Parts: sequence; structure tokens; C-alpha cells
Amino acid sequence: MPSRYLLAVAAPSSLFPALSFDSHGQLSNQTLFPRGSGQGFVRASRNLKVYRLKANFWDTIRSGFLKNNTTQIVDPPPTLEEGEEAQKLPEEFVLIERTLPDGATEEILFSSGGDVDVYDLQSLCDKVGWPRRPLSKLAAALKNSYMVATLHAIQKSPGSSDGNEQKKLIGMARATSDHAFNATIWDVLVDPSYQGQGLGKALVENLIRALLQRDIGNISLFADSKVVEFYQNLGFEADPEGIKGMFWYPKY
Amino acid sequence: MAASVRFCFSKAMELRWATTKTAKNIPNKPARVGLSIPVYLSTNPSHVNPGSLRDLFVSCNRSCHAFPRIGPDGRVEEGDIAGVDKLRVALDHSSVVVSVFCEPRDLPVDGDGIEEQRASSVGDLMRRVVPPAVTPYSGQLVGFGRAVSDNGLTASIYDVMVVPPLQRMGIGRMIVQRIVRILTGKDIYDIAALCSDDDRLFFEACGFGDDILGSTTMMYTRAITGSSTDGSGGFRRVGRKLLLVPTFKEFHSQSRIRNS
Repeated sequence: MPSRYLLAVAAPSSLFPALSFDSHGQLSNQTLFPRGSGQGFVRASRNLKVYRLKANFWDTIRSGFLKNNTTQIVDPPPTLEEGEEAQKLPEEFVLIERTLPDGATEEILFSSGGDVDVYDLQSLCDKVGWPRRPLSKLAAALKNSYMVATLHAIQKSPGSSDGNEQKKLIGMARATSDHAFNATIWDVLVDPSYQGQGLGKALVENLIRALLQRDIGNISLFADSKVVEFYQNLGFEADPEGIKGMFWYPKY
Repeated sequence: MAASVRFCFSKAMELRWATTKTAKNIPNKPARVGLSIPVYLSTNPSHVNPGSLRDLFVSCNRSCHAFPRIGPDGRVEEGDIAGVDKLRVALDHSSVVVSVFCEPRDLPVDGDGIEEQRASSVGDLMRRVVPPAVTPYSGQLVGFGRAVSDNGLTASIYDVMVVPPLQRMGIGRMIVQRIVRILTGKDIYDIAALCSDDDRLFFEACGFGDDILGSTTMMYTRAITGSSTDGSGGFRRVGRKLLLVPTFKEFHSQSRIRNS
């Protein structure tokens, strides 16, 4: 039984009248809503609201007592946004699947779970020619980013079962945010040998999607001159309405 | 108990003096002479009441959105100043929050901020020597600034503002310098601030400048226009823009959802 349901069971006994079970192990309704005593009646109506909120609470109680119970405790589904079709982005999905010349298959896997090995990232940054940054700072930055999107290439040798996979980090993008209004996209990079296939575009678009779906609307980034056009094609505008980024200069 | 609460506040709220400078005049603002008031600076996010913060946005005519709707009177429209709940979320997820308070009686009443040194009574003199402790509950929120950071490499400063009657007294610069000091104390030196044309001079005076690496600031502004056909991903109203949400496209090769 998940621990949070255990907490609910340990509620003060005054809230939950003594439980009785009939022969099938089903909770008898009689004791849940005691009649007669005025206080009990009030308490019962309050309890009723509680039960309505957590409809599966008694499922968990029942499932805990019955042996060989196959009741599955399912969390209530997350409330979908009103109005538009919820094209909710799965946390991980395959972007491309193809067969290589030597017969091996390759999958490009997109993930927003943020599971990045810092050393893999460091070597990817080396490949694109970025200056090195301290690993501890890199790890902290990843951990505290609002969202980290990664691309991995998974190669399976021909004719082998699942055991022989090679998983390689080939792209990443991350965004910091205050979870309410502002977000900044940092560190967008794709392995040079995988560039030109629209992977960078996929990374950034999925970040924007995730941010806008949560109503985070001020999405900014600081683009190197070589990639300004890349971002323009994705819907970004340089210095919109005169908004510029300024950076702090340490004074000595 | 009351004593310990006051102690906590006085530890987190620092007394500073904001003074007008006799230096250059701005064409439209009359010069104020010799105004000096005590203000209290706090770096504790819980000292900021989201309702007071919203009022501050209104007084300073600022919005949380980069492109707010502005009415014919030049004021940001009510709907584009964020709600209290969202402000609380933003505060909770900002790495640095700096707030400045003052005693309500010290706030210049005049619209254009002209104030002469009040005739000193003994009481006034005493207040100048030993300003009474201001708590976030008794004081008026007059200045604010925050930064969002990944606590490792980078930080962005947002929403720096001071109520108009107390502007040009060094409070804004105090706020920015404190934010920078806290960030550099955490070893973060890549500090950015998105600012409009009006704010540029202010940030330059605080020691900010164009990016050494020559990067271009860009913001996502792709919006729905009348002729737009691809609205299937939906859109989001952000200020005066209806931003297009990129659709989840099938890639040119096959793609499938992976069951993990």
C-alpha cells in the first residue's frame, strides 16, 4: 500500500466510526453514516465530502484487507486543460527510426525527463566546440532547470535482441523559468554528425510547447550571431520592440 | 515571542538611507532637494505579500508580460498585471527576491514628489537618528526586484521597480546591486537582465552592458494572424499577443510512442 494512504488510515478515530465488515469483506454502510445522534449526522455529511474527493480511498482499504485482491489503485487522472484538445506531450518518444547501411537500426529518442549524464554532456559540448565549464556547476544548472530536453541515439546491431543497445547523447536544450511568466532557453546543442535533420528544431519546439502549455509566455534566449536565422525560423524575433538583454560586467 | 519575531525581521531587513541627488535634472521632473528617508531592504521572499506586489506593479505601471496591452492613457491594462496566485508562484521559484519598504508616513504625498525637509520636531529628529523598525506588515512595499537562476551557471533579473515618488533616489540601484551580490556570492557571474529602451540607462548605471560575446537577444513572438492556418496546436494569450503553440508534428520518418 502506498505510504500516503497509510497516513489517511491513521486519522483520528473520531472522524471514522468503527468499521464493520460483512462476510465478503465489504464495508458495511450502516456504520459509515450513523443516524440518530446529531453529532454523528454532522460528522457523516462532512465525511461524505471527503469520500467524494477521494473516491478510491475505500478501494485501498478494501484492497489491503482482501487477500489476492487484484484491484488496481489508480491515481485520479490529471485534470486536462479546458478547451483545446490536450495534445499532452509524453515524456519520452521516438522522433526518428531508421535503418543504417550496415543493417543496424537507429532510433532518435526525445526525452524531457531531464536524465542527463554530466560527463556525456561535457563531451557533447566539446564536440560542438564550446568552452569547458566546471562539472559541478553544470550538474547544478541541469538540476535546477525548469526543463531539460535531450536527444539520444539508440543503435541496435542487426539481428540482436534488446540486450545489445548503444545509447548516445546527441542533443540537449534546457530552459530556466520562474514557473509563472518568464523562461530563458540556454544551451541548445546537437552533435555535429546529427545536425541538419531538424533535431535542433524539434528540441526547441518541444520546449516552447511545454512552456506555453503552462502559460509561461515570456520565452527568451541569447543567440550567437550564427544561429539568429535558425531561431527566426522557429518564431523568435531579435530585440522585439526594443527589448534587449544586458549583462553584468564585474568591476575591478 | 514578539521580541524574537522582531529580531528575525531586523536581521533580514536592513536599514538604508535613500537620498535625492542634487545632480542632473530630468526635463519633466522637478528637482527635489535634500530629501532623505529611511528604507528597509529585505532579501527574504516571504516578506513580500503578493497583493502588495500587485499594487506595486500598478503604481509603477509595469506588467509581468513583456508585451502588455496598454490603454489610451498609457497605463498597462488591468488584465495584464498578473494575478496574485501567479505572483506567488513566481516568487516561490525565484532564486533571489529583494524588497524595499518604507514607513507610510515617509512616502511623499505629492504626485510629482516635491517635498521639502519637514520642520523638525524633537520627534522627527529622534526618528532620523534611530528610525523605528519597520516590518513587512507595517511598512509599505516601495521597491522590488528578483532573479531567476539555475543556481549553477546563469541568472536573469526581472521586475525591478520602485514607486514613482521615490525614484531617482538610488533605491533601484540598491536593489540591483544586492541581487548581483547575492548571485556572485553563489558563484554565478553570467547575469542577464531583459530591459526595454526606458530601462537601458538605469541598467547601464548599475554596471550592465551589451553582451561581451555579442549575442542577440531574441524572444518568441510567433503569433496567430488572421490568415494563419496552423492553429491546431493551440495558442496562448500572453499580454497583447496570441502566441502560437508549436504543433506536435509527426517526424518525416516514422515515429511512435515508446512504451517504457
